[in-house]
Amino acid sequence: MSWLQRMAGEAPVPVYVARGIDASHDDLAALALDANIELVATPRHAAVLLVVGTVPAKFHDGLRRLHDQMPRPATTLWYRSRPLPEFDAPHTLSKTDRLAPTLTDLYRTLYGRTPQPVLLPDRPPAPWRGLGDYGQGGEGMMGGTPYGRPMAMTDDDLRDGLQLDALGFTLGPFFGPWAPGLLMHMSLQGDVVQRVSVQSPPFPQAPPTVFGAALRGAVPIADLELARARSHLFGLAHSLETAGLRSLALRTLAHAARLRPGVDIGLMRGWLRRCGLFASVPPGCGQLTRTQAIRIGGTAARAAGQPMDARLEDPAYRRLGFSVIVQDAGDCRARWRQWLGEIEQSLALADRAAGENVYTDQTEVVETPRGRWRRGAGIADASAVLEELLPGMEWSEAMATIASLDVAAGEPGEGGEP
Amino acid sequence: MTVADAVFYILAVIAIVSGWRVFRTDSMVRASFLLLLSFIAVGAIMLLLGAEYLGIALFFMMAVEMMVMALFMVMFMMNPAGLNPMNMVHQPRVAIGAGVAVFLVLAAVALFAQFPRNSAPSALDPVRSLGRELLGDSMLIFESAGVALLATMIGVVVLSGAGGRFGASDVGSRPPGLTPDAAPAGPPEQEEAASGGGHHGH
Amino acid sequence: MGTDLLLPVVVLFAVLVAGVYLVQVFDGIVASALSGIPARDHWLAPLRRGAWLWLQQDITTEHPDALNWRLAPMVYFTLAALGMAVIPWAGQVVAADLSTGIVLWGSVEALATVVIFLHGWSANAVFPLLGAYRYVALGLSYILISMFVLIGVALPAESLKITYVVLSQQELWNVVRQPLGLPLFLIVGLGIAFWGPLNFADSADLAGGTAAEVSGPHRLLWTVARSAMLVAFSAVAAATFLGGWLGPWLPGLVWMVLKMLLVLAALLLLGRVLARPAPERFLTFAWVVLLPLAFLDLVWAGLEAL
Repeated sequence: MSWLQRMAGEAPVPVYVARGIDASHDDLAALALDANIELVATPRHAAVLLVVGTVPAKFHDGLRRLHDQMPRPATTLWYRSRPLPEFDAPHTLSKTDRLAPTLTDLYRTLYGRTPQPVLLPDRPPAPWRGLGDYGQGGEGMMGGTPYGRPMAMTDDDLRDGLQLDALGFTLGPFFGPWAPGLLMHMSLQGDVVQRVSVQSPPFPQAPPTVFGAALRGAVPIADLELARARSHLFGLAHSLETAGLRSLALRTLAHAARLRPGVDIGLMRGWLRRCGLFASVPPGCGQLTRTQAIRIGGTAARAAGQPMDARLEDPAYRRLGFSVIVQDAGDCRARWRQWLGEIEQSLALADRAAGENVYTDQTEVVETPRGRWRRGAGIADASAVLEELLPGMEWSEAMATIASLDVAAGEPGEGGEP
Repeated sequence: MTVADAVFYILAVIAIVSGWRVFRTDSMVRASFLLLLSFIAVGAIMLLLGAEYLGIALFFMMAVEMMVMALFMVMFMMNPAGLNPMNMVHQPRVAIGAGVAVFLVLAAVALFAQFPRNSAPSALDPVRSLGRELLGDSMLIFESAGVALLATMIGVVVLSGAGGRFGASDVGSRPPGLTPDAAPAGPPEQEEAASGGGHHGH
Repeated sequence: MGTDLLLPVVVLFAVLVAGVYLVQVFDGIVASALSGIPARDHWLAPLRRGAWLWLQQDITTEHPDALNWRLAPMVYFTLAALGMAVIPWAGQVVAADLSTGIVLWGSVEALATVVIFLHGWSANAVFPLLGAYRYVALGLSYILISMFVLIGVALPAESLKITYVVLSQQELWNVVRQPLGLPLFLIVGLGIAFWGPLNFADSADLAGGTAAEVSGPHRLLWTVARSAMLVAFSAVAAATFLGGWLGPWLPGLVWMVLKMLLVLAALLLLGRVLARPAPERFLTFAWVVLLPLAFLDLVWAGLEAL
């Protein structure tokens, strides 16, 4: 290997993560916090494609496209996932603690390996043979869709009846800022979302295991509340990353990794306010109506002023002095404030519960960060709300709204009954 | 032939060739920026002539103008990159005839007109003399034009903001009626968008 | 003409190359200080990433505007170098002492808009195009504010030459004489170089924006060009607001470089601690708050110069 290749091998590993079903947040948070790994936003910046969790067959073509979009030299690591049949000797892994070292090894040995095959044919989407005088289709001025590329046609705009070129595209299911599996077709004018249609809802996300255990028997409230606080911190880190504050997002993830009962997050609240996250979206951005809020449930409902919380039905929580926190507006800012408030509340509850060693009393229903989970029933998918919510928003407001909302279904997992 | 002459000839060739390419390229965005290249070459020639402020101001103005033109091409045209095969020219013979005729007229002017022979004084400070002219004899014209232009720019930004012209633009505001109780003015609302949007024929 | 151009050109290229490297180093230091994750080696990390990008395949999308796509980073770097050419590094050390140096900076900003749009549009992909749109939508705001602030700086100097602007600060630096100027100019700098809170073109919510479909040496060149623009901007800010090469004891060149590094560090810190506002919100803020402040700065400068 030349010295240039040796130097390149010392750089942090650029990894693009394609999340399938049951991709857990904790593994990815640990990867993000590793100084040797850099999680990139697009496969074109990546050297390793990390496929986490099972990918359903209908999305295999998308996976192939991701793989082909990586510039060579590149490789793929299948973590708890079945590799695509095209690969002769795929790199697989199922042990958590070897994830970062395996990625680093794969990256360091990239130059010595045979080049990765290209999985999809490198041709325009549709063949074309023009018949007309200028190579066009023959009838009228266009006569068909040349090379599979539709002509840019104007379309109505939600604002003031303008008619500009509408840009339509499908995004997902491995788009980083969104929930894994969410496939949406969007139509934009400029950067304002005109129409959204959910082609495929996000994969069901099982809540952290302690919530499943809470439906089978009593669990320490301290563990439950710590898991809740950690989950909300992941949500905040995600929102910070979307707002361009990657370093502060990593700091939040680091907080989440070393969370203990009774930790004071006053400092974090301080820099969250000063960094301008709340000011980055206009007030009323992503405002949920009452029906939408109730349909999504969980933190989003409480942020919209609906005091729905399954912990109210648990005598153990009432003894600890639990009371529901709600916000007035149902917009993005309110949801972030709600997360912050619930983190503080959870840490305080965990502190008190750990001191008195309190267990949950209620095992029929548990309040997960995503919403209310009754034994035997899952949490319903609410991604159709996005179709009503996003039109009319600018792109960055739309992304901030999606980051502040959790609309994936929660599957029964191992806690509920099948 | 001095260095200035050689540079002039190179810039002149760039200006003419890129101007010609504007009409031969299929990509509309490239056409806008080839025109920008032509203007930049002309601006550089103005720098050679000693008009330092005007030359650099030309870069400045033309960059933003061509940028807006390219953006309008992308917003409204069907085939702004010329990727899809279609004939995008109208009345080519008339246009070529008019272009050649204008070129001949302007070339005749350039070759046969009597240009003044007095060269600029070597102690010329172009910025100072331009400033004296703008803020001396011609102050009223330039100041009123400047304020009007600024007001126009601010007005455009206000009109295109989310506040909209007659109400929030997000809900498709309509202008008020001509009398207090009349129906909203402006074109009547269409139930379905016309097919193909705004490209009526071509 | 030959020999007294040699030193300024050498200084210019040395500052550009070292400046681009230092931008990446400082940015890495700020990032790891803020995130609490210590990086392995701040000083070698940019070189390692550069080596990796140099060796990576320069992958393309379907039918991009290849000429403009490849040309855009080169032209962006050239614009940054052009902008630096009119900046004096010491009394007589200036590569091109244009009598309209400040207007040249306006042209650099306007042409940068064109180049960034081209970089986004040429990729023939959705996210780069959206990044390009967002940059152009706000470009005029930055240019207007920067021009008013720079005219304010030119008033005490009674000239558009940056050398005279520096010389006019011999009694008092412009950062003190026109207090609104430098903060406004820093905001403009973040905008022109689309960095940090004003990074609407290459932003995280567009998966990298205009750089989303770019890899290999092309991406390396784009990163270098963006860093060069930051360096050039810091140099202008140091020359027009912080007194350029003026200062006791140390030679002028050293002062100039130190002041430039100070402004650069300020820009990089702001880039990592402030969230990116929604473009509509920032547009309103720029035209309703910043533009009147720029007028105020101009009026203040005029009154001072009287």
